[in-house]
Amino acid sequence: MKNTIRQVFHSPKFLVGFIIFVAILLLTIIYPIFNPGNPLQQIGLGTFAPPGTYVSLYDAVTTGTSTFRLDDAEANRLAQVLTDDDRISMVNWLTAMDVDVSGLDISDTEALLEVWFANYDSTARPEGMTNAQRNYYVRLNNNLLSMSTAESLTVTQPDDEGEPEEVAEISDTDYVNVNDVANVITLPLGTDNFGRDVLKELVSAIGTSLLIGLVAGCIATFIGLLLGLLSGYVGGVLDDIVMFITNIFTVIPSFVLLILINYSIGQENRGAMVVALVIGLTSWTWTTRSVRSQVISLRNRDHVNLSKLSGHSLVRIVLTDILPYIASYVVMAFILQISSAILSEAQLSLLGLGPKTTEVPTLGLMMNWAMLYSAHLGGKWWAYFPVIGVIALISFSLNLMNTGLDQVFNPTLRD
Amino acid sequence: MKGYRKYFGKKIFWFIITFIAAVILNFVLPRLMPADPVAGITSRLAQGVTDATAVQEIYQRYAEEFGTNRSMVEQFFIFVGNALHGDFGTSFSQYPREVSDIILSALPWTLALQLPAILIGWLLGNVLGALAAYIRKGFDKILMPVTMFLSAIPAFGMAVILLVVFALTLHIAPSSGAYGQGMVPNLSWNFIWSVITHYQLPFWSVVLVSIGGQAVGMRSMSIYELNADYVKYARFLGIKDRKIVGYVFRNAMLPQITGLAMSLGTMMSGALVAEIIFSYPGLGSTMYDAVTSADYPLISATTLIITIMVLISTFVLDIVYGFIDPRVKAAQYD
Amino acid sequence: MSKTMLEVRELTTKYITRFHEDVYAVDHVSLKIEEGKSLGIAGESGCGKSTLALSLMGYYFPPLHYTSGDIIIDGKNISGMKPDDVRKNVLGTEIAYIPQAAMNALNPTRKIRKFIEDVVLAHEPKRDKKEIYEMAKARFDELGLPVEALDKHAVELSGGMKQRVVIAISTILKPKVLIADEPSSALDVTSQKMVIKMLREMMEKGLIRAMIFITHELPLLYNVTDDIMVMYAGQIVERGTAKQMVFDPIHPYSHGLMHSILVPEEGTRDNKLTAIPGTPPNLKHPPQGCRFADRCKYATPACRVNAQPMVEFEDGRTYRCSLSVEHLREVYKSEE
Repeated sequence: MKNTIRQVFHSPKFLVGFIIFVAILLLTIIYPIFNPGNPLQQIGLGTFAPPGTYVSLYDAVTTGTSTFRLDDAEANRLAQVLTDDDRISMVNWLTAMDVDVSGLDISDTEALLEVWFANYDSTARPEGMTNAQRNYYVRLNNNLLSMSTAESLTVTQPDDEGEPEEVAEISDTDYVNVNDVANVITLPLGTDNFGRDVLKELVSAIGTSLLIGLVAGCIATFIGLLLGLLSGYVGGVLDDIVMFITNIFTVIPSFVLLILINYSIGQENRGAMVVALVIGLTSWTWTTRSVRSQVISLRNRDHVNLSKLSGHSLVRIVLTDILPYIASYVVMAFILQISSAILSEAQLSLLGLGPKTTEVPTLGLMMNWAMLYSAHLGGKWWAYFPVIGVIALISFSLNLMNTGLDQVFNPTLRD
Repeated sequence: MKGYRKYFGKKIFWFIITFIAAVILNFVLPRLMPADPVAGITSRLAQGVTDATAVQEIYQRYAEEFGTNRSMVEQFFIFVGNALHGDFGTSFSQYPREVSDIILSALPWTLALQLPAILIGWLLGNVLGALAAYIRKGFDKILMPVTMFLSAIPAFGMAVILLVVFALTLHIAPSSGAYGQGMVPNLSWNFIWSVITHYQLPFWSVVLVSIGGQAVGMRSMSIYELNADYVKYARFLGIKDRKIVGYVFRNAMLPQITGLAMSLGTMMSGALVAEIIFSYPGLGSTMYDAVTSADYPLISATTLIITIMVLISTFVLDIVYGFIDPRVKAAQYD
Repeated sequence: MSKTMLEVRELTTKYITRFHEDVYAVDHVSLKIEEGKSLGIAGESGCGKSTLALSLMGYYFPPLHYTSGDIIIDGKNISGMKPDDVRKNVLGTEIAYIPQAAMNALNPTRKIRKFIEDVVLAHEPKRDKKEIYEMAKARFDELGLPVEALDKHAVELSGGMKQRVVIAISTILKPKVLIADEPSSALDVTSQKMVIKMLREMMEKGLIRAMIFITHELPLLYNVTDDIMVMYAGQIVERGTAKQMVFDPIHPYSHGLMHSILVPEEGTRDNKLTAIPGTPPNLKHPPQGCRFADRCKYATPACRVNAQPMVEFEDGRTYRCSLSVEHLREVYKSEE
């Protein structure tokens, strides 16, 4: 036993898979310790805030400032305001006025502005330019000018009479230390359509999905093992009946059964564990088949016959003479069950038949929400991409572990 | 010939049995649940209706339509009888369209998408797996982890990734539907071209996902066959390596047909969900619409059709396999 | 003096393991067979006899590699030839092989006829398929095999039939030397007899001109081959005629091998049955002295240090042991 485990961990495939899986598992355990709280709490009002560190503007105004004079500050500020379309329009104007723009990189704000201010003339009128276009350029130029000349902003608050009273004056050289601002929140994966912290939600969802996989896998493996052992070892009519049922459920796609059952249960009754139970109940056929065929090949081995002759009970024979020999197959089947159960949950949730949405997030539900609110069409990658990545990583790690085990237990497959 | 007859007889028997079982399950499963579907429908339809007798009337009408006021056995035979006529009732969400009409318009899209995609994915996967097994070394070391990771991505995930990359970022393919918006299906070159461009992304997302699993299976199978005794013997008879590799891949590929038959259900359900991402007007999207609008007759009919599709494909694959692999014939004598 | 059909000089081949270690499974083996003669090679499993069979073909693929030595078939040295030349001009035509497990030796999904076509076309690409079929039919007829078997897949044949079909296929191109690696070990007694009868017939008919028969049952060779060689840990330890080897084995290992099996031959039946204790040495790190020393009950301390060469002690009889022939014969006699 010890030797087998050592052998398994010597398989590089298994090891890599195992490390990835454990890393994901540890994330779900450790992250909530540092960032506790309800993962479904809506912290933001808008939808899909992009990933990043958010500094409270309100608090920043009253935070003590330091003064820095940085050469590129103005250019950066402009760069932030100047859209790509504006830049292209500027180059178009310059080209139309026969200014040499060769070698000008439009993402180099400083260079672009230099050429622009040197050449722009609001009275000039390139051929074919409409009035609206002309006005656009005037506006653009004014904006750019004011951006580069304004030096301070005044923050006011209504006093007792409702007259604005100056609270603070913010100069363009004022900086606050992020550590001094009372409220700063870092959202590595932004927020979702409901304004929830995606990372927190994701970690919690991974936990739930793994649990669903585990519960479904346990149920399916237990049923599969029990039926496989009974039908393989006892044989006869029992075998016929079990195989009859198994054959039917092997061909009828379990996904269809999942849809029918989950739909009938109804949204209110579908907790995450109910979904796990249903998945487990519909995915035992593979385990049954492989356990049965293994048991049949073991049934007439010498050591089993010896136990039978010694009058050992059926339970004892199964536990000591059969189970140890099929353990590796069962473990492999179990690993695959986990991975396919996680996938099943995700697909069901995408159809709108996943666990109810009010209790806990799951990977499938997060995907479903992201799709419902068209995150993919709006470029909100943080709402769906990490979910896909995590599902792929989980099943990749489980598949790797499985392949590793397969190579250890089936030596012909070794490299 | 006796071996074959026994094999086909067995397959036909199982096809019929599973077919009957599928129909029964489709009927029974929803009715086993404590919830009364008619009550659910009524409460949805009767929202805002305060008059108790009016609600009662709505309930009666649907109880009549579904026959829930009759005995289970009686209901079953009505269900089967109607199904045989292709009558699955009227859709709630697309009233007054017939369910069979909706299914018929969705079915061709799903068939045209999934059949070629799964077959091509299977073929490419087998070729890659065989190459990995034969070349080994670097090719195997790089290719296998990549294909394994590829196969770990769920079909819907692959669909989203392709959609974002090719439709939204690179703008080289349309993002949704099966043909251009506002087009009316016809046989013009314009329309066909539109169908082809819309076909690409859903097609490749299914292909890419199915490649991985097949490649991994084919690789193991080929390695197993490459170590077989007949390979050594054929070599010592002076047969060229290329010819022997041909033997090996044929022998490794044949069981992959059964492998395909067995994973068909899983592959198809993945592809159905991927349809939703592209709003592809097939059975997957129909199912999604039916679920979101609680259209019970439509759900029931869609699941039945999907099951029948899987059953027939599995059956056909089994029969094809029986014809081309002589090992099947031998196994029947045991 | 008749013609030498096969001569092997100091042939050495090795396996390279997954961990890049060299295992010399055939270690400086020399042998000679004359036309019309057959040679048996006996030894425990793992003694290198199957590897010797593979090595004699002169065609190597991983993990087996050629190291040194010569294989001369009917005067032609094949050791220096290019692999593809060996494949085309030696395998099947000069020297042929019958594998240990005939059960799995045939491609299960190819018809026997097609497979024979493949074999013939690999050597004579221009042959007409119909002609090949006629030839195969004639050969099957000649060997007493049902011609219908040609149109069947390997999976449809019984075990004994498969073995005989394999023999027929191996000799379809009339090879000069046939190497049979335990062709009968997996069969029932009747099929065994048929296989051996078939091999002898082929020798008589001149379909093959010399044969090497490999088995772990030394006594079985008495009925089949003219000469017998005993192999241990990659080396030949003794060679003599079949009669000599069965009734008067000299090397302690041959003696042990002869007495470890229940033998139905007259004259050997009274021998006490004793198993040889221990297991063959690990060839990754072969012992310095005599390789059998660790398991030999007559071994002296010197045996473990000094390697012994093959020595001729009677006309045509050689052995590899530091103890004298007289001493060994005496010891064996006293034990009976």
